[in-house]
Amino acid sequence: MNLHYLTNELYYQKRRTLTAILGLSIGIALLIILNALSAAYRQAAHAPLKEIGADITVQRPGDVPKDLTGVVFPCSAVTIRDDQVKKIEGLDGVRGIGKAVLLWIFDPNRAWIVLGLEQQNSVGPAVLRSAVTEGRYLEPGKPEALVEISYARQFGIKVGDTITMANTSFPVAGLVDASRAAKIAVANVYVPLEEAQKLAAASSQVQSVSPFSPADVNLLFIKADQEKITDLASALRNIVDKKATIGTPDSFLKLLGSFFALSDKLTMAASLIAIIVAVLIAFKTMAGNIAERAREIGVLKAVGWTNHNVVSQLLAESVIQCFLAGIFGLVLAAIAAFGLSFMNVSIPIPWDMSPTPHFLPGGGDQIFKTLRLPVHIPWILAGFGVLLSVVIGGVTGAMLGRTISRIKPSEVLRHE
Amino acid sequence: MNNGVLLSGKSLSKKYGDLEVVKDVSLSVKAGEFICLVGKSGCGKTTLLSLLSGLERPTAGQVMFDGKDITSATEDELALLRRQNVGFIFQSFNLIPTLSAWENVALPLFPIAMKQQEREQRALELLEKMEMGHRTNHLPSALSGGEKQRVAIARALINRPKVLFADEPTGNLDSATGDAIMVILNRLHREEGVGVLMVTHEVDLAKTADRLIRMRDGEVIS
Repeated sequence: MNLHYLTNELYYQKRRTLTAILGLSIGIALLIILNALSAAYRQAAHAPLKEIGADITVQRPGDVPKDLTGVVFPCSAVTIRDDQVKKIEGLDGVRGIGKAVLLWIFDPNRAWIVLGLEQQNSVGPAVLRSAVTEGRYLEPGKPEALVEISYARQFGIKVGDTITMANTSFPVAGLVDASRAAKIAVANVYVPLEEAQKLAAASSQVQSVSPFSPADVNLLFIKADQEKITDLASALRNIVDKKATIGTPDSFLKLLGSFFALSDKLTMAASLIAIIVAVLIAFKTMAGNIAERAREIGVLKAVGWTNHNVVSQLLAESVIQCFLAGIFGLVLAAIAAFGLSFMNVSIPIPWDMSPTPHFLPGGGDQIFKTLRLPVHIPWILAGFGVLLSVVIGGVTGAMLGRTISRIKPSEVLRHE
Repeated sequence: MNNGVLLSGKSLSKKYGDLEVVKDVSLSVKAGEFICLVGKSGCGKTTLLSLLSGLERPTAGQVMFDGKDITSATEDELALLRRQNVGFIFQSFNLIPTLSAWENVALPLFPIAMKQQEREQRALELLEKMEMGHRTNHLPSALSGGEKQRVAIARALINRPKVLFADEPTGNLDSATGDAIMVILNRLHREEGVGVLMVTHEVDLAKTADRLIRMRDGEVIS
């Protein structure tokens, strides 16, 4: 292979070089951006759970109580027994569990959505700690409450007041802006888990629908090994209930409904199509370019180049061209990724993860988690795109080189 | 080598389908001999040249080069034979458009492991000899027909060939430029002892040759 000949050929045959580079780079850019988009949707699907520090949520649907008075469970979240929680803690892939109790409290003059949470747990609604806007966060051992700021405004509740729910009084320790923290597991009032457990256990309405002991819960937030989430989802159903609502990044992904969010297999199929398009483009443009050079190849052979010399030269040209195409494709993909990263994606929160009763104002409204689509090109994808381009160049160059090197110089040089 | 014969063809025939282009031709070329193959267009001169130079395989017959039978040589063996022993001059010059004059001259040396500086040195010497020392870095597109053919001759000489195969070397040139090219070929033959086997349809160009071979309808007639 002669480097000087190679660079001259690429430099002076600009049309040929640019056609080959542009054609292949479009295919490579398509491949990279398809995978980057798919990864971005996947990452976005983690957002609703990630903002409460979890990878999986677990709820068990149950019956609606006869009378909506006093303390009741939402029909989407009834008792998960303590022994079931212990079994879950022992599952392979579970790195941490946050427990919570979600209650609806219907007092004669007001309805409360109350969430009992573990104050010190980093998994689950305790992430609200960072959303306290006034007063302070719940302190261990104190039966006090945090009130959601818009609810507090609506009913004139201030830090230092005492609120009474189901005949139990709670001093208001602080106000929280839950809208800054999470779209799931939001409530009007947050109390220590044990307080909520006491309220639930004492409620005849709760007990009539779903027997509840003071150590039980009705919401679980699980931090898990990413690669085991799918297996865990099925194990959780086996432990809790076949009909349990298991919220995972995959379940949110399905709700997105985007082509890129549908499945790994579709992305794989689209990627394969992009690769095939890239190979066809490379093959067609290079075959055309090499065919134009039949006479030149005839001259090379006439002056003593062997088939191997010819193939090596064409192979090197093809690999360099395709390497440049890979780099250019990467640049195109990066520009596209930058443009797409301004796109917003709205992830619908399933009704059964929304704590607001559907019969209350705004309760039936669809809730969305909206965020910027986090499109970026990982190094490994960028490297794969360029490497693939080089491999395409190598295979194409070798195949076309072998074919064209077999021409007889006398045939192409005959007709002067 | 037998009796100074460098190249010989024995009972050479070449068919393309049913068309027999070269018919039972035998001839020999001595080392350093200048032979002109003349005849009308389509009489088989170029095909005979291709057979003798190893660019084409005969349908029947045998080609001997420097005492070796090259009729059954492989493609790569023939390529090496051409690289080491033979130079080609074509009617259309056949220069590589993306290479400068000196790079075109050095083209046969590209596959050989040697320093680029050495290749360039040899190419520049030959271009100087062809009175092209002032055009060494020009692309073929910037050269006149006569200049292109001088570059092509220099390329044919870069491997110090035993014989030059020239196929209508003046065919695309005006008469004055064609004459100048013939002067160069004659000088190479006379002063450096390079053998030349030249195909032409112009009998006038053959007057300085050692031997004239006439062809008609694929056969040698004299």
